[in-house]
Amino acid sequence: MGLKDITNQFLHTIITIVLILLGWQILSMLLQTTAFPPPGKALKSFTTLLYSDILTHLQISLYRVGVSLVVAAILGIPLGLFLGKNKRADELSAPFLYLTFPIPKVVFLPIFLILLGIGNLSKIVMITLIVFYQILVTTRDAARNVQHEYVLSVQSLKASNWELYRHVYFPACLPNILTSLKLGLGTAMAVLFLVETYATREGIGYFIMNSWSSLAYDKMFAGIIAMSLMGFLLYLLLDTCEKIFCSWVNP
Amino acid sequence: MNKIDLETEKIREPKDYLEIESLKVTYNQRGQETLALENVNLTLPEASIGAIIGPSGCGKSTLLNVVAGLNPSYEGKVFLNGKTPQESNEVALILQEYGLLPWKTVWDNVRLGLQIKGVSKGEAAERTEEILTQLGLLQLRKRFPIQLSGGQRQRVAIARSLVLKPELLLMDEPFSSLDALTREEMQELVLKVWQENGLTILLITHNIEEAVFLGHKIFTMSPCPGNILEELTNPLAGDHEARGKVEFLELTNYLRQNLRGRE
Repeated sequence: MGLKDITNQFLHTIITIVLILLGWQILSMLLQTTAFPPPGKALKSFTTLLYSDILTHLQISLYRVGVSLVVAAILGIPLGLFLGKNKRADELSAPFLYLTFPIPKVVFLPIFLILLGIGNLSKIVMITLIVFYQILVTTRDAARNVQHEYVLSVQSLKASNWELYRHVYFPACLPNILTSLKLGLGTAMAVLFLVETYATREGIGYFIMNSWSSLAYDKMFAGIIAMSLMGFLLYLLLDTCEKIFCSWVNP
Repeated sequence: MNKIDLETEKIREPKDYLEIESLKVTYNQRGQETLALENVNLTLPEASIGAIIGPSGCGKSTLLNVVAGLNPSYEGKVFLNGKTPQESNEVALILQEYGLLPWKTVWDNVRLGLQIKGVSKGEAAERTEEILTQLGLLQLRKRFPIQLSGGQRQRVAIARSLVLKPELLLMDEPFSSLDALTREEMQELVLKVWQENGLTILLITHNIEEAVFLGHKIFTMSPCPGNILEELTNPLAGDHEARGKVEFLELTNYLRQNLRGRE
C-alpha cells in the first residue's frame, strides 16, 4: 500500500466520522428529547468520564470479551480444522453440531449464573460458547473445501499430518477464520452487553444500564461511545491481522 | 527410424529405474468397487523420459499417484530403483495445476519441500536460491503464485521439485493450461533440466506431439480399466529438429490412429 492509498483511506475515515456525527446531530435535533443528546454533549461527557470510572468498566469488559474470543479461537480453530480434514470425525459430529448450532445459547445464561456464579467466569463462558460455535462451523466448512490439489502436493513431499495442518489447512482457512472472528466479535459485544446487565456492578454494559435507570442520558451515551470504540478497536486489530497474514488473497 | 543419436545410445544400456508389474488399483466409490487400473506393466530406464498418452479418464493420474506414493492401497509390484513408492524419498511430483500453495511466496513454495525433509535453514536457503537462479526466477521470489503468469508458475513448480534433487520426476499434464508458445518453451526447459540433472522423468500428456518430442519411451493407455496398450521406443526424442521430419509425422500419425481406433 502506497502513501497515497493510506492518505486516501485516512481521509475516507475522517469524512465517514464527520457524516455519522452530522447524522446524529440532526437526529437529536429532530427528536428533541433528553434521552437522545447531541454528539457534542455526549462526547463532552465521555471525555470527562474518561478520567473517572468509565475506564475501569471498560477495562473489565475488554477483559471479558478478549478472554472469550481468545479461548473460543483456541478451542474452535483446531477442532474445526480437524473435523474439516477428517471425514469420519466430521460425519460423526455433524448431526450434533447441526442440532445444537441453531439453539440460541444465550438462553442458558441463568443456568450458567447458578452453576458458575455471578463473577467473570459465567460471563466469559457464555460469550465463549456462542463465539466458539461460529468459529467452529466456519473453520470446519473452510477446511472441508480446501482444494485437494494443495493437500496432494504437500503430501507428495511425504509431509506429516501436523505439517499438512501447518502448511495447508491452517493458512488455507485463515481468511475464513478471521472473518468468523470478526463476526464473532460483533456477537460477543452484543452478548457482553446482555450478560453485563444481570447481577453485576462492573462492566460497560452495567455502566450504560445504570446511567439509563438514573436518567443520566449523557453519561449513558458516553458509555455507548466507549463500547463502540472498544468494538471498533478490536475490529481494527483483526483487520490488521488479515492484512498482514492474508496478504496473498489480494497481493 | 533407425537413426540412433547420442541420447538414445545413452539410454540403451542402463538398468530400469521404474518397474511396474501387474499393477491393479480399485476405488471404492459409495460402496461400489471401480476398477481404475488393471494389469499395468511398465518399465522406464534410468535417466530417460517416459511419456504416457491416452484419453481422459484412463487412469493416468491414478498411475502417477501410485508411483508418487500417494496411494498405498494398490495391488501388484511397483519399484523405484528397488524401493516401493512409500519407501522411496527420491521422487517429486508436479501436478496439473502445479500444486503451488497460494499463501506462500515463490521462495517459500520452493523451500517447503526442503523444510519438510528437515534440511537445515542455511542449506535450504542456499539450495532455494541456487535453483531459483538456475530457472531465472530469483527476481520473482517475493511474489505470490497469483501474481505469476502460467509459464512462470510452471517454472516455479519445476523449481520446487528440482530443489529436492529427485531421481524420478513425475509430471501430470504439466503444460495443458499453457499457450502454444509457452508450452514449447517449457518442453525445451524440461529437456534442459533432464540433460543437466540426469533425471528419470515420467510425464502424462494428452498431446501426441509433446509425447513424441519428449518421450524416449512412449506408452499409450486404454481406458476403463486403464491399461498399457503399447510401449514404443522413440529415437526422435529430444531432437530439436525432429518436428520437421517425416519420421516425426509418421510416428504421430501412427499414435493418433492407434489411440483413435480404441476409443
